[in-house]
Amino acid sequence: MSKLDSKVPSGKLQDKWEQYKFDMKLINPANKRKFNVIVVGTGLAGASAASTMAELGYNVQSFCIQDSPRRAHSIAAQGGINAAKNYPNDGDSVWRLFYDTIKGGDYRSREANVYRLAQVANNIIDQCVAQGVPFAREYGGYLANRSFGGAQVSRTFYARGQTGQQLLLGAYSSMMRMVAAGKIKLYTRREMTELVVINGQARGIVVRNILTGELETYHADAVILATGGYGNTYYLSTNAMASNSSGAWQAYKKGAMFANACFTQIHPTCIPVHGDNQSKLTLMSESLRNDGRVWVPKKQGDTRKPNDIPESERDYYLERIYPSFGNLVPRDVASRNAKTQVDAGRGVGSTGVAVYLDFADAIKRDGEDTIRGRYGNLFEMYQRITDESPYNTPMRIYPAVHYTMGGLWVDYNLMSTIPGLHVLGEANFSDHGANRLGASALMQGLADGYFVIPYTIGNYFASNMIDQSITTDHPAYKDALQNTKNRLTGLLNTKGSQSVESIHKKLGKLMWEHVGMSRNAASLEEGIKKIQSLREEFQQDVNVPGSDKGVNTELEKAIRVSDFLEIGELMARDALTRNESCGGHFRDEYQTEENEAKRDDENFTHVAAWEYTGDNKEPVRNVENLEFENVKLTTRSYK
Amino acid sequence: MASNTCSTGICGYLCSSIGKKQLMGVTAFLLIGFLKTHLLGNLLILGGRDLFNDYAHKLISLGNILIVAEVILLAIFLIHLFLAIALVWQNKKARPVKYHSKKRTGRGATFASDTMPYTGVVILVFIVLHLLNFKYGTYYEYELNGVIVRDLYQTVIEYFSNPLYTAWYVIAMIVMGIHLSHGVQSAFQSVGFRHARYTPIIKKIGCALSAGLTIGFSALSIYGYYISTIN
Amino acid sequence: MSTATMTLKLKIWRQADNTSKGSMKEYDLPGVSPDMSFLEMLDLLNENLVNSGNDPVAFDHDCREGICGMCSLMINGEAHGPQKLTTTCQLHMRSFKDGDTVVIEPFRAKAFPVHKDLMVDRSAFDEIIAAGGFISMNAGNAPDGNAIPIGKETADLAMDAAACIGCGACVASCENASAMLFTSAKLSQLALLPQGKAEAAERAQKMVKKMDELGFGNCTNAAECEASCPKGIELSNIARMNREFFKSSLSK
Repeated sequence: MSKLDSKVPSGKLQDKWEQYKFDMKLINPANKRKFNVIVVGTGLAGASAASTMAELGYNVQSFCIQDSPRRAHSIAAQGGINAAKNYPNDGDSVWRLFYDTIKGGDYRSREANVYRLAQVANNIIDQCVAQGVPFAREYGGYLANRSFGGAQVSRTFYARGQTGQQLLLGAYSSMMRMVAAGKIKLYTRREMTELVVINGQARGIVVRNILTGELETYHADAVILATGGYGNTYYLSTNAMASNSSGAWQAYKKGAMFANACFTQIHPTCIPVHGDNQSKLTLMSESLRNDGRVWVPKKQGDTRKPNDIPESERDYYLERIYPSFGNLVPRDVASRNAKTQVDAGRGVGSTGVAVYLDFADAIKRDGEDTIRGRYGNLFEMYQRITDESPYNTPMRIYPAVHYTMGGLWVDYNLMSTIPGLHVLGEANFSDHGANRLGASALMQGLADGYFVIPYTIGNYFASNMIDQSITTDHPAYKDALQNTKNRLTGLLNTKGSQSVESIHKKLGKLMWEHVGMSRNAASLEEGIKKIQSLREEFQQDVNVPGSDKGVNTELEKAIRVSDFLEIGELMARDALTRNESCGGHFRDEYQTEENEAKRDDENFTHVAAWEYTGDNKEPVRNVENLEFENVKLTTRSYK
Repeated sequence: MASNTCSTGICGYLCSSIGKKQLMGVTAFLLIGFLKTHLLGNLLILGGRDLFNDYAHKLISLGNILIVAEVILLAIFLIHLFLAIALVWQNKKARPVKYHSKKRTGRGATFASDTMPYTGVVILVFIVLHLLNFKYGTYYEYELNGVIVRDLYQTVIEYFSNPLYTAWYVIAMIVMGIHLSHGVQSAFQSVGFRHARYTPIIKKIGCALSAGLTIGFSALSIYGYYISTIN
Repeated sequence: MSTATMTLKLKIWRQADNTSKGSMKEYDLPGVSPDMSFLEMLDLLNENLVNSGNDPVAFDHDCREGICGMCSLMINGEAHGPQKLTTTCQLHMRSFKDGDTVVIEPFRAKAFPVHKDLMVDRSAFDEIIAAGGFISMNAGNAPDGNAIPIGKETADLAMDAAACIGCGACVASCENASAMLFTSAKLSQLALLPQGKAEAAERAQKMVKKMDELGFGNCTNAAECEASCPKGIELSNIARMNREFFKSSLSK
């Protein structure tokens, strides 16, 4: 039998959460102040969890890598947040939001979790409005909605193109209120290097103080990781520079299982790579595909300027292949098709790794002013980066790594396989299956933090024996501290010839090539070997200057990259063992005659959760079967 | 500064950065009001010795009322002055290490806004000299309608007969104009008045007012010089 | 896309840590592509420094898409460099010419001490928010999102103010290192919305007092903050704060 117990409560899907909230044990208000919780990360999930638990009375210690909790990368989310308010009266419901999310995830997520997410989504909107989040409104003063990919209703709430920023600042302000009240102790510029497990329970962490270089230990009664995703394994992604998964990865090495590592989302509309010195990729909102037409020249290696290529020599390939959805096919389909064109030598721009997104027809049809009104700020951003005006010349776009659906395995309580270690937001694997829909990441982060963990953490405290006599004097802290010290000394003493950055770039290229938009067994096997040898190269030849005292940005990067080098291998391994195509995971061997993803529901309707067995040893693949009692598994078609 | 020790209420307000700024603004409005009446009064010079001396005499005859008014004016001026010193001090302290290279964006600060403390000092010096030269200047007597009054007209003309004094006066008035060109709109902003439609108008009125006061006072000084040359 | 690269002369503030004395150091940097962002240009410099065994220049950065507010830098005497409404990470090297000298300094203010090189401590902003930049409500209290209609104009004004990214360019570019634009942006956002009105007076008092305590300078209405704000936060927010503070002083 599986080691993975999802702890999904029994009962009707619609009643599970309500019933479970009633069944959970409570901690009385006077006793809450006796419990301490560590929260790592201050994005939407971390900040909302920290503030809500502090409001309830728990003592929270909050950690972030940046100089302020407000900088977490949730801030960069543009589009919006979904909720089934049905304000537009267009037939939305909790059930429909649940259904769209589970279908969008290609049936690889847990019904009960997704249903709960859809249920609490409405509370999130109310909560954020009350916090002063300036959502867009209609003239009558009521909240505005817009439509987004993967749904036939308008359920997306937004604050201009800065929804993530506004939601994060809302959570951050609640959090700062609790900092002022003394219920949250805030530790900025700290990076987690180790999880401390005592008597089988997660009890504390080791962090490195980025300013002083000192290693510090913190102790609590439970640990919450809200550390985001691992997209930066690819070096180039839309993630922030400091986004990393070392916290989650160190937890994995202490026994938390890592689920569905191969599920990564590649966003189709990003500004393409311009050269070797590029540090990150910038996303252009998906909404551009509403008016832009995607094309490439019919001729291979055509170097003419786009406007010199006559209509008859252009291939509007999305419109050709998917006549009914055209340019509006889902993210994974659009991304894969762009890659196919580029691989066939029809890519455009100086690098040949891009396709055109052309607004000429839309401008002709609606006028330049209308298009400016819709996309003016995006066009400006594009021009700032590329020095080209999309009003006169087609945009160049190419897919980029954007989000990781996989993450630490959690049960219905959002607890990992280590008791006491809870994982929220992008860091867990839970709600998006094999593909995340637009405007759902913000929803999940805040649902976890505001409305799920505040309940389940109480249940954990009330139903487990937690030895509160333990302090950071416990030998486990000394061991953990020593581990980190050894790691840092190892990195500093290697004194090789390659910079951390250059190795990270190599890893990124390997990942993109072997574990990118489409994968196959042979290439994945080759990828695993190459990643392993790159890891050896790193261990023997990395150059980390400076010391472990004070600010040492190279050392910071080295710690992160050493973990990416291990995560990368697990991603490839997970992709190799998932012999099907689903959502963001496309295996060349498993496709329909029309080159679409072909799921294998009989053998792969499950979560693959990897268990660490030791360095350089193959991890064990555990399986949690997904039961679908309420939705019927269907094949997606966009033709 | 004392801003750390005060809490709420009137004391808290006066010690706060914004309270000080608003008091700066309010005193500025009052001082501008005074300047306008002062200029109007001075225009009577154009009406000749009798008219001007009559005006001066009427003011002097107010006696205690004039003293009270002068004390209030002095108080307003001193509040403006001491707040300015306090703010400049506080502002200097706010950036102990200077930039190696710092430039105006060209979209915000102006020469006038950058030089407020310096133009303020020039105005202070000017006012002290102005009082010494005129209010406490040479006392001539003059018989007006059978009454012996002060011949302030004579004091003024004599002063401006020196072209260097006239030049200094004009320069000081230009400096004052620069000070006011930022000061007027700044005072509105400090008391919290800003409006998409009206603020640009206020800015224009502020500039016109500063120019008007500068031109008015300067013109009178040049007129004084002119009168002294034809006598 | 241009392929020709440039060579720049960089003058950069180097300071080992918050207690050391710093100084300007010069570096010649060849191979700068006009398509690089300003921070990618610094990455290139650092890669060279690391490969030649030197200490790389520490600078703050994170999202590199102009929204997190982590990047800073005074570039040739202007906060976030010469381009209007643009953060340093979104500034591209095509704004510079081959052979240019580029002076790079940290944001400077008493309330923003330097940690190392170009990295500064802006936690003073967090303290201002902690003093009152929030609406006191616990999760679970909220009525329906549509319970209180908010006129579109008001919502838009609140959003204009809320767009602040907390980068500190306002403080850095202000002659007096004043934090009024930052403070007033948050104060305005919450004062405009009906949800924030209940504690508007309390908030104005506490935020302004904290701002003063932290050693920021005063506002002289010169508007350099507005001019260098990468998000276009307007001076009208400071005027609103002035009003709110006056009103609250009468009632508190």
